[in-house]
Parts: sequence; structure tokens; C-alpha cells
Amino acid sequence: MSRLSGAFRRRMAGCAGLGLAVLLTPATLAEDAGNLYNTAVDIRMGERYFERQCSRCHGFDATGNDETGAPDLTGRLTRGSTDVAIFNIIRDGIPGTAMLPVAADVPDPEVWQVVAYLDSLRYDPGSVVLAGNAEAGNELFWNGSDCADCHMVNGRGSRNGPDLSRVGENRTPDDLLADMVNPQENVAPRWWRLRITGPDGVSREGYRMNEDSFSLRIMDDEENLWSIPKDSLQSYERIEDSTMPGYAQTLSESELDDLVAYLFSLRREEI
Amino acid sequence: MKSILRSLPPALLLPALAAAQEQQLQTVITPAFSPITWERLVDAKNEPENWMMYSGTLDSQRHSLLDQINTENVSELEMKWAYQIPVIDRAETVPLVVDGIMFITEAPSNVTAVDARTGRVYWRYDHELPEDLRICCGRNNRGVAILGETLFMSTLDAHLVAIDARTGNLLWNTEVAHHASGYSKTAAPLIVKDLVVTGIAGGEFGIRGFIDAYDPETGELVWRTHTIPGPGEFGNDTWLGDSWATGGSATWITGSYDAELNQIYWGTGNPGPDWNGDVRLGDNLYSDSVLALNGDTGEIEWYFQFTPHDVHDYDAIQIPILADIEFGGEMRNTMLWANRNGFFYTLDRATGEFLLGDTYASVTWASGLDPNGRPIRVPGMAPTYEGIMVSPPIVGATNWYSPAFNPDTGLFYVTSFDGEQEFFKRDEDYEEGERYTGGGGRYTQPMDAFHSSIRAIDPTTVDIVWEFPIMPRSSAGITTTAGGLLFSGSADGYFFALDAATGEELWNVSLSRRVHAAPMTWSVDGEQFVTIASGNVVFTFGLRN
Repeated sequence: MSRLSGAFRRRMAGCAGLGLAVLLTPATLAEDAGNLYNTAVDIRMGERYFERQCSRCHGFDATGNDETGAPDLTGRLTRGSTDVAIFNIIRDGIPGTAMLPVAADVPDPEVWQVVAYLDSLRYDPGSVVLAGNAEAGNELFWNGSDCADCHMVNGRGSRNGPDLSRVGENRTPDDLLADMVNPQENVAPRWWRLRITGPDGVSREGYRMNEDSFSLRIMDDEENLWSIPKDSLQSYERIEDSTMPGYAQTLSESELDDLVAYLFSLRREEI
Repeated sequence: MKSILRSLPPALLLPALAAAQEQQLQTVITPAFSPITWERLVDAKNEPENWMMYSGTLDSQRHSLLDQINTENVSELEMKWAYQIPVIDRAETVPLVVDGIMFITEAPSNVTAVDARTGRVYWRYDHELPEDLRICCGRNNRGVAILGETLFMSTLDAHLVAIDARTGNLLWNTEVAHHASGYSKTAAPLIVKDLVVTGIAGGEFGIRGFIDAYDPETGELVWRTHTIPGPGEFGNDTWLGDSWATGGSATWITGSYDAELNQIYWGTGNPGPDWNGDVRLGDNLYSDSVLALNGDTGEIEWYFQFTPHDVHDYDAIQIPILADIEFGGEMRNTMLWANRNGFFYTLDRATGEFLLGDTYASVTWASGLDPNGRPIRVPGMAPTYEGIMVSPPIVGATNWYSPAFNPDTGLFYVTSFDGEQEFFKRDEDYEEGERYTGGGGRYTQPMDAFHSSIRAIDPTTVDIVWEFPIMPRSSAGITTTAGGLLFSGSADGYFFALDAATGEELWNVSLSRRVHAAPMTWSVDGEQFVTIASGNVVFTFGLRN
């Protein structure tokens, strides 16, 4: 894992040379030129504002919150990819959602500082240098390994694991390598297993598609979908392990590097 | 292994209860979803436990053979579950049910699979949309089509997507047309054999309409039939100059199919610009028409234009209902059509021959139909710069919302509106991606002054056999059942059941928000349910246990 860290660099946001002068620049000019409020100080001010006003829903680390439905802001943003689009969302909110506009008396520069802070959480994937070869990883994924027996990419593959079509958007190369070497580390609840036993004593097991207070839904090994009230079951067992084996022993380092490069390339094109 | 074993009360394990429990398990679990073959779709009428396409069956009658809920017991309906769509918008969805799994589309272009018995979610697909959408009339989606284990959905950015019905994984995503030029998609596609047939919206943006067929495996275009003929093609001379290129004729609702005649039937929308016909003199084929397309090639086999040179936005975007009825002493393959223009038509669907037609709602723009079904216009009813009062108003005597035909009563049912509006004309130049309507309309009275009703029409005479008044202006669809029932909803948030033979009210429930969708009915494990979207919520009702 650590051997990638050197190669993988986060872009440091900020352009200190612009200095204080830009603080007096009207926001309209800032829009034309992108975000001019992006010094280290701006980022810190933006973070402070974010913690006060935004973290209630988006979390202190801006990684989102399932309960509030607020999205993760550290990966690829779905509602706007440019600084101006992000500015507009913060300024105007998103109608029909819980994303409210900031108060009208918050000056534009302060909003730009929040934009700068959010920018600092992300990085330009194009600037990441990787040891592996994405094309070789592509070949290995589809023809040289059992990846596609479980995973799907762009409609090809199988249903017994997460769809990886956009996995490069929200996982860093380090994350991807860790996922393959030690898949038990972070298993999403969607990929836990449920073993249910009916009153007839017959057991069924499947991926935990959904579980609520009174019922559960699984996809069994034949890919059948079942929705079952809990009170009709003798017992059910939750298995929080991943069905994915670790690949540290079965794939070579260079093969893992190639797969990381391929998986990291699975992103939508920047608009 | 991290594992949490949950045990349930030991009473459940007593041997004395074993048989009952086995029974319970069998009746409460969702049967495994099974792939939808073309044969199942053709024979959908005889699989009434499932609702496998937008209009229920390929003939679009929206008549279910389920009769467990009937005129005797409908008053015992109670709510079984509600599913709140997480995006706040109005729901126009007609869900599908396949073997106990319900597929619900949501605004703007999402789909969710839920357990039909409980409304609890299996998976969601969220479609990402660009910011520069060009949509005329709200962020709507009306439903999906299914073939095999794949769902097909139209999206507001004018794409067609294929989604794995078991997981919600995106399988392919095809751009049907460029959204920034004014194209969008809201209607459920129609499966015809091994093709996904689908229309396009954008008639207020100067698009050129078409009907497409796509390969369900790959998303590749198999054929495209334009609804406006190009230069050199028959009918191109019904458009002044180059006006054909921006003439609208969108196809924004779902069509029907006759497997024996191998014909696809699809309605077309208004010519553009909507209210200023001066720039597009001529009949403007094939706007405001029904097209019969060859089921393999998409070639036009016949057309019938309801409103030649329309200047009132009278889209022929209604669901073609196919019914075999006795007409003039013999059985005829007919198509029944209550049009937005206020006239009801009975056509021979093999040939497009006009058999019968008359008004079914308030009409002032035409005095009747000639022997070929062509409207006899009343002079001076075209929109003017100052405004001219015309009936039906822009929204029409009816619109896109689904009508129904019940073979037991022989009646055609439609949500109708007797309104009027001042129509204006405006001079306007076409600009790509901008609205291109050439005018508009204005009500001069409050909506409550108008009359709306469910009308039951005898398609052999166009007599209105009964009508049930509702508060205007309803945009709910209709479904009938072998239980003698008609289900529909209203603008003031009621869902109700009428006696399909008499129009008598048998049951209603207040759901509070506008019903802007059509009901559908289905069953699981022998128990019948009926589902309707109201406001932002999908409700399912069943009989009291």
C-alpha cells in the first residue's frame, strides 16, 4: 500500500501570490476567472465556515451523512463540477432538497472560501502518477483474473459484487489497493450476507440488499430476489465479512498495480 | 467471522405450528423474479397478477382480468403501504409489477425497485442529469419497460438507459438526441419483439420528432422513423419552405402494438411553432396524427391526421386503444381515440380508415368531421395577436393521461375537460435550444368555473353513456377491471372507484395531493392490490384481511 503513496500526490490548492488584492475584487470578476479566493488562508476560513454551517448535514470531514441524505463532497460532485457551479449551489441552494442557500447577507468572498475549502478536499486525478498500466489492468480484469465473475463494469460482468463502473471517482489508488489486498477491512452493508432460516428449517443465504426493522431483502446465490418479514423467520444471521478473497498472495505486485491503474481509470470524463 | 445471530421467539418453533408456519413462509415471501419474455408480454392479459408494461397490455386497454376486488367489496379497500419518493416533485409514474417486485420511476429520471407487498426498497437507480435541460412541462417520468431482466427508461436529458432489474446496475446509456437542442424524454418505452421502441419530447423547442427502435442488448439504434417527412419524401410539401425542419411533431407518450397485424401505433404531437401557423402553411404531416409503423422496419404503413395544420396545440399524444368490437354488424379491428381536439374517433386499425367520429367535450374550433374524418373548421378561430376564445383550451379536452376500454361493458373511458381559453399568436424566430411556440393562452375564468368529468363513451355511436363529474382539471388516467370497477383520481387529491357500467361512485379516499398518474392493479399470492401515485407518494390498497 505504502509504496503507492509516494507516487500519489494530492494537488495542493492555493495560489498565495494573488494575496490580499483579490479580496477586493468584485465577485463577478472572480466568476469569470474561476475562484480567486483560494489561498491557504481562504481555505482555512472556508473550512471554518463549513464546520459551522455545513457540517451538520455533510459531516465534519465533508464525507456526507446517510441519515440526512447529504452527499459526500470529497469525491466527484454530481451537481456541478466547476467552481462557479459549486458557488451557485452554495449561494442559491438546490430547490426541492434540504440544501438551503446560505444567508443572503453572507458576502460572496466568504462563499468563494467555502468553494476553495471543498476544492482542497479533492484532487485532479489526471495528475496522479501510478506505477501500474491501466491497459494491462483492463486485460487482467476481464481475461486474466476472476474479477468479472463478481463485479460489473459498464454493464459487463456479474451481480455478486459492487458495480465498479465509477469506482475511480470516490476511491483513491491507495484505497483501491487496500480493497484488493484486504477486502475485509471496509465491507459496505449492501455486501454483507444474511443467512435466514425459515420455520421449515430451510436456510437461504444471500447478499443483504436491504434490511429494516420488520423485513429484509436478499439476493441469493442463484440471483433470486427475496423480501421476507422478520417475524416469519426462525432466525437470521448477519455475516459482515466480504465474500471477496484477498489478492495479496494470488496476484503479483505488478499485477495489483495494473489493476489499481485500471480501476482508478474508471471515471466519467470530466465535463 | 463477524456474525450476529438473531433469534426469534421460541414459540415460533413449536412443532404444532410448523405446518402453519410453512404456509406462512410460502405466502409471505416474494417469489423469485422471473425474466420477461416477449411471449409473456404478448399474453400479458392472461397474466393479470403482473403489470408488465405502461398500459398493461400491448393493446393499451388498461383493463385487468383481476376480479377479487369488485363492486361488492371495493368499499373494504384499505391502505397497505405508502412509498414516499425522496425527490420532491409530482409523480406521473405508472409502476410495473413483475412477480411481486414493483418498479417505480421517480422525478426527475430515477427508478426504484420495491417489494410489491410492503413497498420496501430493493435498490435505487439515480440518473445523473446535466444542468442545461430543456424541458417544457416539469421534471416528469412516466415509467419503464421490461424485457428479460432489463428495464428500459427514458431520461430528461434525452437518453435511453438500460438497468439491471435485479440490482439497479446501469447496463447501457444511449443518447437518443441532444438535450441542449430541446430534446427530452419522459415516456415509458414499448417493447416490440426484440426492440425497445421509444419516442421523443420537445415539441415546444422546434425539434423534428421521430420514433426510434433500439437493440435491447446493446442500446444501438435499429431504426428511426421521422414524424416529419424530409425533402423528397411524401408529405414534405405539406410544410411551407424549411418549416419542416423545426416542425415539432414530438412523440412523448407510449404507443401500442398489434401482434397479428405487426403494426406499432403511435400518436404525434403538435406542429411547431404551436400557435403561429403562418410560418408553416400546409397540413403539416405527420403532426397531430396516429402513425401505423411496420413492427420490424418502422416504415409508415398508414397515417391518420386528426388535426391538419393545428394552431391550438392539440397534440395527438393519447394512448391508442386497440379493441375488436362489433361495428355496423361485423367485428372490426378498431382503434379508439378521444383526442385533445375534443373529437372521439373510431378507426379501422388495419387500414386507418375513418369509421366514426364526433365531439365528446366542448368544441368551438370545428363544427364537425367530414366523411373522411377531417375536421370542418369554424372560420376565425385561429389565434390572433389580440386573443380569441376557443374551446378546447390548450390543455385540451383530454391529454396524455391514459384512457381505458372495458370489453365487458363495451365502453371507452376518458378523463375530459370542458374548458375554454383565449389563444394568442406571436411572431417568433427559431433559435436552437430555445422555446419556439409562437404564442400562448390565457384563462379568463377561474378553474373552478369549468367542468371536468370521467366520460363513458360508446365507441359505436360516440354517445356519452354516463359521466361522473370531478373538480377540474384532472390529469389522472383510468384503469378498469373484470370486477366491474373503474379506478381513477382527481386534481383535488382523491382516488376513487366507480361502477364501470353505471358510473356510480362506490369508494373514495382522500390522498390529499393531485393524482397525476394512472392507477394499475396486480396481485401477489392470490391477493389483489391497486396502486396509484398522488403528489409525491405511491399508495397501494388492498382488501381488509
